[in-house]
Amino acid sequence: MAKESLESGLTWEVRANGRHHHKHKQKRSFLCARWGRYTDNVLRSHKYSPLTFLPLTLFEQFHRVANLYFLLMVVMQCVPAISAIPWYITIIPLTIVLSVRGIKDLATDMARRRSDADVNSRPCDVLVSQSFYKGQWRDLHVGDVLRIHKDQVIPADLLLLCSSEPHSLCYVETADIDGETDLKFRQALGATHDELTTRPSEETLAAFDGVVFCEEPNNRLYVFRGQLHWRGERLLLENDHVLLRGMVLRNTEFAYGMAIYTGKISPTSEQPGSNNLQELRLLIAVCSVPGADTKIMKNCGKLRVKRTRTEKVFNRVVTGIVLCVLLTALLLAIGAGVFSRWVVSHAGALSPLVVDGNPSYTGFLIFWSYIILLSPAMPIALYISFEVIHSVHSLFIGWDTEMYWQPADRPAQARNTSLNEELGQVGYLLSDKTGTLTQNRLLFRQCCIAGEVYGDSSVRAEDVEPMDLSWNPFSRGGLFMSAPSLLEKLRGQQCPISRQFLRALCLCHTVMAEWKEEAPVYQAASPDEEALVGAARELGWVFLSRTRDFIVVSELGVTRQYQLLALLDFTSKRRCMSVLVREPEGGLKLYCKGADIVVLERLQKDSPHQERIESALELFAQACLRTLCVAVRSVPEASWEQWSKTLARAAAMATGDRDALLEKLHDQMERELQLIGVTAIEDRLQQGVPETIALLQQAGLKVWVLTGDKKETAVNVGYSCKLLDPDTRLLEWQELRQILQSPDPEVSFFKARQTELWAVDKQSAGAKTAVVLTGPELAEFDQRPDWGASFMSLAEQCQSVLCCRVTPGQKADIITLVRKHTRSVTMAIGDGANDVNMIKTAHIGVGLAGVEGGQAVQNADFALSQFRFLQRLLLVHGRWSYRRISFFLLYFLFKTCGFALVHIWFGFFNGFSAQSLYESWFIALYTVFYTAAPIMCVAFFEQDVSADSSLKWPQLYKCGQTQELSRPLVLSASLLYAVYTSLVLFFIPLGVYYDTDYDYQTMAVTVAMAATFTATAEIALLTRYWTKFHAASLCVSLLLFFICTRITQSTFLFQRSPADYFFIGVSDKAFIDPLVWLAALLATWTAVLPRSGSQCHPHRARQAQGPQRGPAAGGAEVKAEAGVVPSPLLLRPLSGGRDRAPHHLGDPQHRADGGRESDCK
Amino acid sequence: MVKEEQILANRPDNTAFTQQRLPAWQPILSAGIVIPGFVLIGLTFIGIGVALFVTSKSIQDMEIDYTGVETDSDCYKCTDKDVKNCVCQLDFNIPSLIEGPVFFYYGLSNYFQNYRRYGVSKDDTQLSGDLDNFKTPSDTCSPYDTDGGKPIVPCGSVANSMFNDTFKLYRHVNGTKKEVPFDGKGIAWWTDYNVKYRNPDVKPLKDAFEGTVKPLFWPKPAYDLDPADPNNNGFINQDFLVWMRRAALPDFRKLYRRISQGDYARGLPAGNYTLDIDYNYPVMSFKGKKKVVFSNVSWMGGRNEFLGIAYLVIGSLCIIMSIVMLIVYAKFKFPEED
Repeated sequence: MAKESLESGLTWEVRANGRHHHKHKQKRSFLCARWGRYTDNVLRSHKYSPLTFLPLTLFEQFHRVANLYFLLMVVMQCVPAISAIPWYITIIPLTIVLSVRGIKDLATDMARRRSDADVNSRPCDVLVSQSFYKGQWRDLHVGDVLRIHKDQVIPADLLLLCSSEPHSLCYVETADIDGETDLKFRQALGATHDELTTRPSEETLAAFDGVVFCEEPNNRLYVFRGQLHWRGERLLLENDHVLLRGMVLRNTEFAYGMAIYTGKISPTSEQPGSNNLQELRLLIAVCSVPGADTKIMKNCGKLRVKRTRTEKVFNRVVTGIVLCVLLTALLLAIGAGVFSRWVVSHAGALSPLVVDGNPSYTGFLIFWSYIILLSPAMPIALYISFEVIHSVHSLFIGWDTEMYWQPADRPAQARNTSLNEELGQVGYLLSDKTGTLTQNRLLFRQCCIAGEVYGDSSVRAEDVEPMDLSWNPFSRGGLFMSAPSLLEKLRGQQCPISRQFLRALCLCHTVMAEWKEEAPVYQAASPDEEALVGAARELGWVFLSRTRDFIVVSELGVTRQYQLLALLDFTSKRRCMSVLVREPEGGLKLYCKGADIVVLERLQKDSPHQERIESALELFAQACLRTLCVAVRSVPEASWEQWSKTLARAAAMATGDRDALLEKLHDQMERELQLIGVTAIEDRLQQGVPETIALLQQAGLKVWVLTGDKKETAVNVGYSCKLLDPDTRLLEWQELRQILQSPDPEVSFFKARQTELWAVDKQSAGAKTAVVLTGPELAEFDQRPDWGASFMSLAEQCQSVLCCRVTPGQKADIITLVRKHTRSVTMAIGDGANDVNMIKTAHIGVGLAGVEGGQAVQNADFALSQFRFLQRLLLVHGRWSYRRISFFLLYFLFKTCGFALVHIWFGFFNGFSAQSLYESWFIALYTVFYTAAPIMCVAFFEQDVSADSSLKWPQLYKCGQTQELSRPLVLSASLLYAVYTSLVLFFIPLGVYYDTDYDYQTMAVTVAMAATFTATAEIALLTRYWTKFHAASLCVSLLLFFICTRITQSTFLFQRSPADYFFIGVSDKAFIDPLVWLAALLATWTAVLPRSGSQCHPHRARQAQGPQRGPAAGGAEVKAEAGVVPSPLLLRPLSGGRDRAPHHLGDPQHRADGGRESDCK
Repeated sequence: MVKEEQILANRPDNTAFTQQRLPAWQPILSAGIVIPGFVLIGLTFIGIGVALFVTSKSIQDMEIDYTGVETDSDCYKCTDKDVKNCVCQLDFNIPSLIEGPVFFYYGLSNYFQNYRRYGVSKDDTQLSGDLDNFKTPSDTCSPYDTDGGKPIVPCGSVANSMFNDTFKLYRHVNGTKKEVPFDGKGIAWWTDYNVKYRNPDVKPLKDAFEGTVKPLFWPKPAYDLDPADPNNNGFINQDFLVWMRRAALPDFRKLYRRISQGDYARGLPAGNYTLDIDYNYPVMSFKGKKKVVFSNVSWMGGRNEFLGIAYLVIGSLCIIMSIVMLIVYAKFKFPEED
């Protein structure tokens, strides 16, 4: 029975060398039908074939509501009874939008196809009838036996059969899978190793006829369950026996394996910026493609779609516009009905035109006509332009040399190209500590052995006087500790406890040694271990190599071999690790190292030196050092034997029970420890961290630190990176809890602050408080959900919040808390796998490409190399993006609505007949040709102040946080302005042409001209940064208007199709008629008058004076006041608002700096 | 060297474009520029406004309503639908010389030539002389595409509703009425006459209209519109062309004739005149108005007071805004210096 339960789920059967056996079960597909079980090993990440491209891309694009809406319009325009404008008018912009998108998709797909082909044709050695031949990856099938050479990429998930190394060990690098760059080892089953390596391998391998039963293909990278049935035996298979596709074989001449799962896509080969919806759909599509059984493929995972706030607001506005259009159309339709009734009752030329003589029916038709006519108010090209702008902004981020990290040759990267403007609105920055604020380049700075402290961390690492280590042939440098007394003790054979300490350091770890140029190079999963083993090497205890059973070290030149009996691995839950070794002399020793709280709990009673070591611990923590306790225990042979038997039994047990038993076993072994010392590792702050944090705080960001470290360490890092000021009052849990429990937390909070700061400075009380929390305390929030809101309102007033000892899950919880209770944008930054959760939870996740592998980066929206690049990303790129995109949206709304709404007013003068006021070609070309280029230039290049000034005046950032430019109010103001413009555009020509002999077509051209001029003038007023592109695009747009108008109204086209180009000759006459020009210019200036009036607010005098440009730019009187007058921040909506009350911003210090103020226009 | 370049393969280009340091002109709209700018624009507008206004005032423009709403009007008798071929007379006095060339317009009000279904009710292909569309007019012409199974040429509402009042002007000279010669040449657009509207290449023109019927409201078929001038018939008849060019707004005027010949080259002298009107076009039913207009033109076309006034208003607004700005500016500038 037990066997059965163990075997349950093992339904995937693979026969070694069984190609013919599996062949008929090969997965195949034709159209949508699929059959067969095993996929081939061909990578197919492309989604289009020549046949399917058109239908697929159209299908995808019409998922967008906007596109569907316009398709609907096209369909409606084909109905002659309601067609206010010809059908081909909407289809032109729609086609352009669709084809831009389609071409973009196609280009990506082609690139993908090329890379697929590259991968599929990679060579590998496949065993066919007793000899290996060079095959390609695409030819692999399950059951094939492969030979992998050193440094080759593994082509499919393999069962390791044997390798060239002793015990059939082999080393792999998994950087492509989980981003970790250290070496890991895999080992073949003893049975296969023994049988297959004894005789000439090709024959034996060809004769190998094992059958593997294992789980169906799944996405669990670290778990594998299976059995090998061979020669009547059933051998258990685990993760250790499997090589996954994408791993690279290292340090091993060759390895033999049998393919179990084939086919894959690699999540890491995705193009940068792949998080948007389109790509997501693609990923899902690809995941369901046949040919993808390997674990890495199954792991392509869920991507959360992140949308920016601006986009959300804008979507609402667009919905609002559509509703307004419907409503307006309804009202106009009612008007049409009333007018038709009047027409019917008053016989005239129009009476026969009322459809069926039925006013209501006419009204009904007019309703649809007006929907068509007003549809240009809904910006068709908006979403595609939005995407293009986002992509360009992302490119700019990648191109920024100031965010390029030369030592690693790594530029910044926007992996998610749809969040750029959100970068300009961040309110909360939640940062990991290790590797994010600090370098994660760990230096062994101090240690305490048997109560004796060695080294001095108050000396900067560079200034440490190097010790003389010339006696040590393995010394490579890199020890920043000066402790000659320790050396003396070690070399003098005096102090066994310090020797034991070093022995512990060089034995108790999982580091791999790779031999290069006669010296071991250490490959460590954690930088801590690397630092410790490195330090031990410098001091004479050199870790030389490890096999499965032995660790070889050189102790002061004497090579000793320790038999490795057990390795109790480190997990984030256990927070310690141990090794059990048999010493060359015979005794059994357990060496343990781990976090202080864990190790101190497990000490034997009355462990010597404990008190002094604990005080050293405190000392190290205050110096911001990371500490690990080192302990040792002698294990009696008898207890080991019993223990190992239980361990062997545990190995055969089912997962759940086994874990429990293992935990118990570990506890049994790791107790009665004797504390020998403490290591202290310095994790130095990254360059520019204090400056960056100070700058971000000035920019109004709340910077919180979430770390797994001890409270003391975290607080000290907080001080050293200027997150906390020396006089900051720390509010700890006890106090905070009382405040939260009190009936009115706000008041209690004030009291708490004031009692402390009563005498000092009332003013700064708010800013100078910081909350310090630890993980267990945070857990209480789960029980008291009502605390969340009050905590956030308190935190709002605090300088910072430090959360220590938090788990990855809690990091994400904190972000959820912030997201829930504030409306700010949250940004999480981290570098390690433990930050992935919070990076995914935050509005924006930033991954630091650091020492700890690439997982954070792979899950992040933006990837940076240094924390200090954040200031540029936020204050420069973010702020620019926000302004550019806001301007773009506002302007887009303005230009489309302003131009389309004139039809409403015209309706009152043409009997609500849905008569267009424009030539239909103008409607088609206006958005795409006449007004698109200049706003795109603004959206690409606009800068109100230079990058340097953005960094110099971080207060400028605040306008993004308060959504100064994208609030619904501002958008509504823009809409109102558009309505005003449409009124002007219609009524001024109306006044001019009323009761004259000017005809409809001339008026149409006049209004079109005025609309184009207005849109152009508007953008010219908006542009504050005139490059050659701006000027060129402006001129080209205007020229295009004149040229295209002349073309569509030309004799040539008219003669081809009189019904489509019936405006013939109008522009010839209109463009030389002074009245037309005067009317158009008057309408234009009147339309932009509010804008120019508000643009030219007298305060501009000071505002516009860019800090970098100095006083020379302004007038004389302006010069006089710059630097003297505290300048008000103007909260101006888009239009008008000249009489808004100014209000003060920032502290006088910054204002005095340059008389520069935040200005959002 | 090569190695170094390879290592830094990812280094971004350091160009002005990629680093967003394009040379740019960043205009500063300081008060010192803006206020004078507004004043300048305001003054310009006022200047244009004054010029327009003066010009407009100098244009003589005489409108006479002849709808016949008032019972004492001579045309009152013609408003009865049952009266056919009604002719009414309009006596009026021109107090001072209207300088030539004088343009004679007819004007309609409350007439929606810009109604969409009205506007599309024509066949541009037919009107460009395509004989196929003579036989089968486009269905856009509905409900005036066929009459009794025969195609209407020219089809459609616009053509059908062509204005058909005709006018004769007499000047009272020494007690006798002397006809004032009208010039009806070239009153339509050049492109309309030469490109947009073409008669079919059939001689005589009448044959092209074989098998078609005239529009319902028309007294005469299209090929017979101007018996005096055979070249002014069919689709290129000047009056037809003027009518087919739709008005923008419900109140409009259309050019009927020019008065520029013989004694009247210098204009219409002061004196008494009589206008004989063939009153055919019904407007009373839909509360429309008809009028005739004698006007001369300037560089800006006919009389147009609106534009001048609008320029003056906007110009003044600019000046006012600049004054307000100056006040606000002064107010915000000084208090902090105390």
